[in-house]
Amino acid sequence: MDWRWDFTFEVVMPRMIEAAGVTAWATVASFCLALVGGLILMLLKQHRSVWISRPTTEFIEFIRATPLLVQIFFLFFLLPDFGITLPPLTTGILAIAIYNSALCAEVYRAGFEAVPRGQWEACVALNISTYRTFRDIIIPQSLPPIIPALGNYFVAIFKETPLLSFVAVAEIMQISKLIGAEYYRFTEAVTIAGIFFLVMSLIAAFMIRQVENFVKHRIVR
Amino acid sequence: MKPRIAILAALGAFIVGLSVATFAELKLFLPPILRGAVVTLQISFWSWLLFVSLSCIAGLGRWQRNLLVRWTATVYIEVFRGTSLLVILFWLFFVLPEFGIIMSPFVAGVLGVGLNFGAYGAEVVRGALTAVPKGQREAAIALNIKPRNFVVRILFPQAIAIMVPGMVNLTIEMIKATALVSAITLVDITYASVQQNQLYFRTLEIFTIALLLYYCFAQFVRFGGAALEEYFTRHLAKRR
Amino acid sequence: MTDFAIQFDKVCKAYDDLDVLTDLDFAVRKGEVVTIMGPSGSGKTTVLRVLMTLEEIQDGVILVQDEPLNKMYKNGDLVDADKAHVRKIRSKIGMVFQNFNLFPHMTALGNCIEAPMYTKGLSKQEASEEAMKLLAMVGLADKANQYPSQLSGGQQQRVAIARSLCMHPEILLFDEPTSALDPEMVGEVLKVIRDLADSGRYTILLVTHQMGFAKEVSDRVCFIDGGKIVEENIPSEIFENPKTERLQQFLSKVLEAR
Ligand SMILES: Nc1ncnc2c1ncn2[C@@H]1O[C@H](COP(=O)(O)OP(=O)(O)OP(=O)(O)O)[C@@H](O)[C@H]1O
Ligand SMILES: [Mg+2]
Repeated sequence: MDWRWDFTFEVVMPRMIEAAGVTAWATVASFCLALVGGLILMLLKQHRSVWISRPTTEFIEFIRATPLLVQIFFLFFLLPDFGITLPPLTTGILAIAIYNSALCAEVYRAGFEAVPRGQWEACVALNISTYRTFRDIIIPQSLPPIIPALGNYFVAIFKETPLLSFVAVAEIMQISKLIGAEYYRFTEAVTIAGIFFLVMSLIAAFMIRQVENFVKHRIVR
Repeated sequence: MKPRIAILAALGAFIVGLSVATFAELKLFLPPILRGAVVTLQISFWSWLLFVSLSCIAGLGRWQRNLLVRWTATVYIEVFRGTSLLVILFWLFFVLPEFGIIMSPFVAGVLGVGLNFGAYGAEVVRGALTAVPKGQREAAIALNIKPRNFVVRILFPQAIAIMVPGMVNLTIEMIKATALVSAITLVDITYASVQQNQLYFRTLEIFTIALLLYYCFAQFVRFGGAALEEYFTRHLAKRR
Repeated sequence: MTDFAIQFDKVCKAYDDLDVLTDLDFAVRKGEVVTIMGPSGSGKTTVLRVLMTLEEIQDGVILVQDEPLNKMYKNGDLVDADKAHVRKIRSKIGMVFQNFNLFPHMTALGNCIEAPMYTKGLSKQEASEEAMKLLAMVGLADKANQYPSQLSGGQQQRVAIARSLCMHPEILLFDEPTSALDPEMVGEVLKVIRDLADSGRYTILLVTHQMGFAKEVSDRVCFIDGGKIVEENIPSEIFENPKTERLQQFLSKVLEAR
């Protein structure tokens, strides 16, 4: 079978570009939610009471050890049982956000633990306030490991959005599947989807490396 | 040991969940899900073999001096890491037939998962190879050890010890990723659960069972990985 | 056939654009024990690494027992050495590293029999018998089945010495063999090296900062700076009657640091 350019430009591209918008929105929304969710999970995990920290730890473990796709299905079928009806896209974003919150929580924790204890002790010895300690000492030092890791999760979320096609969200994979079913040819649509993901992740990887260098040189001199 | 507690907890929860669900249509929907679990395990096994071999080949390739070999490995790694697994699966299953290459869903699933994770694993292998201190190679040269023997008897045994944790993590990720093969008509745990859910509307029980099954698999891999790591680093036992 | 074990003839070695050895001329007779001294970064390690074929030289000739190291004669022409030639020359040389470089996943005995078994093709039994003798010689017969991580630094370095002796080299290179060791372990390693020097069976090239030891064991001391030999003489002359200003400065600094 051959590659048909007219089909590519007249049928595939317009619908793909529209779908790329959905993919982009899903990525950004999930990522932002995950950033906040991760912070909350980390704080809960570090909570003084074992009754809060222990279940949080197990929850994070459980989320990390099970497939995102099953979690998406779970939310998608379960929420209506509780009388919550959300559009599939919102449910999907929620599932991706929860999954990645668990991952981000670990990133934050690792970042803060990478700051040597001595730094805290030095701040106490110098009588620096807790707020100042965080703002000027701890956070700047924990950013270099955290930022690239978060960047990687951004790319990972981007590559996870095709899972939304399982619940019929009109993102790129779903559209290429639909085009394939309508015209009985998958070559152009699926290949373009693949190239789209490849190019975007390569660009993102490049940008992460730039940011990483920037953070290394700017924040920790 | 933490993984052991986790396994016990998971099994316990699993049994409790089962007995609760017994009051529902458990006898009806559990067998298909377990048949799905067998499919998941089969896919995982074969993709694991493919993934580990590809990791070693591409990892060694990236580490080689020969430019052609290195570039081939790099292109493979970047392409299969950069695209999404679902796209790869679609490509293998829907596009290749249009070029006359027809595969069974099972083969396409194993190939897709293996190729995708082989690319991630290659980076782990390469990292491990470069983490072996340079002095090891120099000592081997000074002792006139042949390059091939150096790689097989000195470099690899040390690299394996370094790569085990990374590979264990990837294996868990890979088992989770096999859920995506339901997109190409394979009835694994995930697809079986969706089917049973559509028949019996027991969302809570069905998906809890599905999640717990995956959780158990992950814990077993983690536990096995800890044992493997201990085995490969036994020589690092500290004095006293 | 001369009685030189090692000859350097106008050897040049550069890393990228940093010249480390510049037209180095240098020779060691068979059975001689020579110490190389010099300030940090002067190229001492480089001399040994070049000899061990761990680094390539840009210019000049190195002869090991009258055979060129990086060249060989083929039908009367001097051409670049092939692998077989390099391996042949290399088999005459053994090297002991500053940080031991033992294989951490093998026992002391395993480290010693690896090369004899897989390079020379000895049987495991033959190799082990010989290795046990050498381990006994360095005083570690009872540690044969320990992994390097279970040994002290001094013990590890002695295993490393035994390991290189297992390949029957005629020339031994030591690169600061004691500088990664705690002070109380230096003695045991130096004792082994002294025994090797006294046996007269080996040509030894030693880089060390242990002045007393160098004075005691070496037949000759070379002071190297800026990639050239600045002064060479018998130890007593070098230490008690340094001629060049640079050597005088170096010695006074080293003695001050004591
Ligand atoms: N792999 C390398 N790449 C670039 N430069 C190097 C390399 N190895 C050594 N050099 C440089 O070559 C010079 C000589 O190094 P060498 O290790 O021979 O010194 P040395 O006399 O052994 O010093 P030290 O007493 O500190 O061990 C130094 O300036 C060093 O920085
Ligand atoms: Mg040195």
